[in-house]
Amino acid sequence: MRKPSPLIDVLIFLCVLAGATWFVADGTTRLGYNWQWYRVPQYIFTYHEGRFTSGPLLEGLKVTLQITGASFVLAFTIGLITALCRLSDSVMARTLARGYLELIRNTPLLVQLFFIYFVLAPILDLNRFFSAVLALSLFEGAYASEIFRAGIVSIHKGQWEAAHSLGLSTVDTYRRIILPQAFRRILPPLTGQGVSLVKDSALVSTIAVYDLTMRGQEIIAETYLAFELWFTIAAIYLLVTVTLSVVANMMENRFKVAT
Amino acid sequence: MREKDLGDYIIIADKINKTFPNGVCALRDFSIKVRRSEVLVIIGPSGSGKSTFLRCLNGLEEIDSGSITVDGIPLNENRENRLEIRKEVGMVFQLFNLFPHLTVLENVNLAQILVRKKTRKEATETSMELLRKVGIPEKARTFPNHLSGGQQQRVAIARALAMMPKVMLFDEATSALDPEMIGEVLDVMKTLAREGMTMVVVTHEMGFAREVSDWMVFMEDGRIVEEGKPEEMFLSPKEGRTKLFLSQIL
Repeated sequence: MRKPSPLIDVLIFLCVLAGATWFVADGTTRLGYNWQWYRVPQYIFTYHEGRFTSGPLLEGLKVTLQITGASFVLAFTIGLITALCRLSDSVMARTLARGYLELIRNTPLLVQLFFIYFVLAPILDLNRFFSAVLALSLFEGAYASEIFRAGIVSIHKGQWEAAHSLGLSTVDTYRRIILPQAFRRILPPLTGQGVSLVKDSALVSTIAVYDLTMRGQEIIAETYLAFELWFTIAAIYLLVTVTLSVVANMMENRFKVAT
Repeated sequence: MREKDLGDYIIIADKINKTFPNGVCALRDFSIKVRRSEVLVIIGPSGSGKSTFLRCLNGLEEIDSGSITVDGIPLNENRENRLEIRKEVGMVFQLFNLFPHLTVLENVNLAQILVRKKTRKEATETSMELLRKVGIPEKARTFPNHLSGGQQQRVAIARALAMMPKVMLFDEATSALDPEMIGEVLDVMKTLAREGMTMVVVTHEMGFAREVSDWMVFMEDGRIVEEGKPEEMFLSPKEGRTKLFLSQIL
């Protein structure tokens, strides 16, 4: 079969795009929605007489990134420890890890977040920010642990045997032989988990953490610019997740050259 | 017979039994002793328990009953003992098992630094010397997957030697190699044997067995069918089963 020319592809894409735009435009006209895009930029940032001031959306993005960053580190740690526990010889460690995993995977994230914020936080005296980080990392950590486990198990048995035959301890074998190789293999699914983390972080707005989503809701409540702002917020999230994927892609290519 | 001064017994395996979880019985009351500087070659059909025996010697497989002593240290549940034995017993695998994320030099350095607690500089000196010995010092900075099979296996031998082991185990070290690369690996093994390294070798290379072994064992079904000096084994095997096996493989 002859491959269709790329020109036709582009043409079809433009048609679909035009159709979608028309659909939205027509809908909003019928609603009588008054687009006021010119009012949006001030909520992102203002640039006045050479001075750059970030608006509420950028401030919110900062909080989102802080929460995501902290959660990523913590989720990575929890995931790794849980995976190692599940693969250990100790029945106790395996049972604990399994219990944690099932508990997290079989309850909604929103409920976990509320549970930590409304039940654990007062008991343990946690602030809002840390409650959010804890909930997200416990949730993503459970999924990350399955990725880690798959990565570790995928390393050929011969690597363990070679390391053991050289007298390496289990800790050294994990640290120097198994994990460095496993990490390279799981980078793509781990990035996927990172992207999920960014997206799921929007839920923390429900416990009044002033992240990107919360800031957006706040502005909408004042200005009724619902359409413009949700478009903008979605675009900012997209920007963050796409950047993350691109960076992970670059890392992956670098590792490929190294081995 | 080639005259060689053999020392006292360094490996004593006494009535070891090993059955795998799937019910396959790999070793049945298997006993053997190896002297210092001796080259023991084990031959036999696949599934006869040769490799399992080698893997038991450094604790990669646990034995069900019997006892193994290496250089006076009993191999048992004691973790320290097992680690101690692994330091003194080097192993070369059929599939090389080099660490693909490390360069050749790092592969050879690793255990010296982590287990023998040498500095990187000391380790590198030893490693380069060993890489010269196996004939590939120029590949030190290369990653293993850029090497041929024969080169990889020679690196694996250097890696095991870097621990200064008292015993070297070779588990079908040339079986996964292209025919033209078998020679270069066997040459390294022959050099080691000549230098007085204690070696236990599982192999199908009968030429090698005949040339360097001090003692040969023919195994089947986890038992020793026949053992003896190589020339006796090749020229006048006593057992019919040995005769048949040798006639098929030679």
